[in-house]
Amino acid sequence: MSIDRSTILLADDDPTIADSLAPFLERAGFHVLVVSDGVTALEKAQAHHPELIILDVLMPRMDGRETLRRLRKLNIWTPTILLTKVGEASERALALEEGADDYLNKPFDPHELLARIRAVLRRARPGERSLSSAWLLTASELVLDRRARRATLSGETIELTPKALAVLEYLMTHPDEAISRERLLDAVWGWEYPAGTRTVDTRMAELRRALDDDPSEPRFIETIPSEGYRFIASVYGEG
Amino acid sequence: MRRLSRKWLRYAKLTLPMWVGLLLAGLAWFLIPFAPPTLTTIDIGIFGLVIGLSIRNTALVAFLLGFFITGGILLVRYWDKRRVDEAHTLYADYVEDAQQKRRHFLRRLDHEIKNPLTGLRAALVNLQEAQAVDERRQAGQNADKAVERLTRLLTDLRKLADLDERPIERYAVNVPDLLDDVVDAARATPAHQGRSISLLIPKIPSPFPMLTGDRDLLVLAVYNLVENALKFTSVNDSVEVRALEDGRAIVIEVADSGAGIASDDMSKIFEELYRGSNARSTEGSGLGLALVNRIAILHGGGCGARSSQAEPRGTVFSLRLPRR
Repeated sequence: MSIDRSTILLADDDPTIADSLAPFLERAGFHVLVVSDGVTALEKAQAHHPELIILDVLMPRMDGRETLRRLRKLNIWTPTILLTKVGEASERALALEEGADDYLNKPFDPHELLARIRAVLRRARPGERSLSSAWLLTASELVLDRRARRATLSGETIELTPKALAVLEYLMTHPDEAISRERLLDAVWGWEYPAGTRTVDTRMAELRRALDDDPSEPRFIETIPSEGYRFIASVYGEG
Repeated sequence: MRRLSRKWLRYAKLTLPMWVGLLLAGLAWFLIPFAPPTLTTIDIGIFGLVIGLSIRNTALVAFLLGFFITGGILLVRYWDKRRVDEAHTLYADYVEDAQQKRRHFLRRLDHEIKNPLTGLRAALVNLQEAQAVDERRQAGQNADKAVERLTRLLTDLRKLADLDERPIERYAVNVPDLLDDVVDAARATPAHQGRSISLLIPKIPSPFPMLTGDRDLLVLAVYNLVENALKFTSVNDSVEVRALEDGRAIVIEVADSGAGIASDDMSKIFEELYRGSNARSTEGSGLGLALVNRIAILHGGGCGARSSQAEPRGTVFSLRLPRR
């Protein structure tokens, strides 16, 4: 289990969070480096080459977003999970845009963080850019231009509502991963609620119609009974 | 050339009092602080007159002009001041109202956080001090429950804040479909065990008209109403979800035959974190109806409620939304 001895850089200025999360992650088998601001995070990331970085968004000296931007500018493609702050709707879109591999809304269940860490590490190819930081995603004849917020199928633009597009974006940046409805709600809508899982299903139906994807013989999106969805086509990122 | 200038000179001399009066009135308008004592303005008018008279003896013209200019200025100023005063009063009322709401909100928030936090602290003490495994497990479960309550409160606060910040989607929404989804979702919850929800949608003469809006938010709103209806009624009560339309608006109603809401509470139930007298012991963030109201307003509609605690008792919540 080489994965479980990975080094994680945890940057959060709130000691109540860092002090509890670090031992939890250590117990899960990771080696954890804790820093409390963005500038130190940047230095440690360059000095220690961690396998994964967890960044809080609001931090003194340099916030999480800026830290991530600088890391990417330095050509450091270490997978990164952003811990976003409650109530900032635009934060989610920004996190996607700035190449965070995943993000979690506070407050979160530490087990959920662990699951995300493992998924991100499984997906990561050391030294390579991840799909999350690519502007153009291609899966056979489906192309998603994240900057222009446009998806094309065999060269033709497909009509999608902004939510359906955000769902497609999340699925395509997390291919081959079982994603629960709750996680999609949290990632795309920002909050979950009891009737929300049906909301996800409605968007998924819209998406499948637009992609001409047959749920019984899916090319793109597979339903995993009682679990959620999985994007099954291979995805390539560019730019 | 000389005749022309003499003519101009005569005009200038004749109208001099008027110009001086105007000049002084203008100075009074700009230089004197906003609401000068009335006498000051009149003084300046008369002063203008005196100067005008001393330069050229056209007493009547000067007097009339000076009088009307001063009078006019006083009138305009008076009218202006009244308007500004009215605006001030309105603004003061608004600020007072907002402050009052904020005070209420903070007091209620304090209350909503205090209870689960107290529970959490007690659970943590038990967790540290208890010896028996069972006790420790129970303490852990209690801590979880308290955290869940706080999380729920926070999530609902975030929803409210989000609604104010992000634009809503505007697409065609099929109402019967939406209500089907909501009722299905409600039937799947534990609160629905042994309960029945009936769904009434008119089908004649034409299909139910479409609505323009954010389907996800509308689902959230109607679901909140249905969840409320289930929460505040007992197994023997019935819950009905129905859609109506009158050519201009679509009305979605959620009715129940429960105990009803006290008339004192009716005016406040849509306020953030307000809990009615019969809702104090019930689980919930106290933000559900505020959310529903906000969503209705964002869609250009509104929210209403009618309730009776006397037989035939029950409550009807209605969501009025403009047609597509």
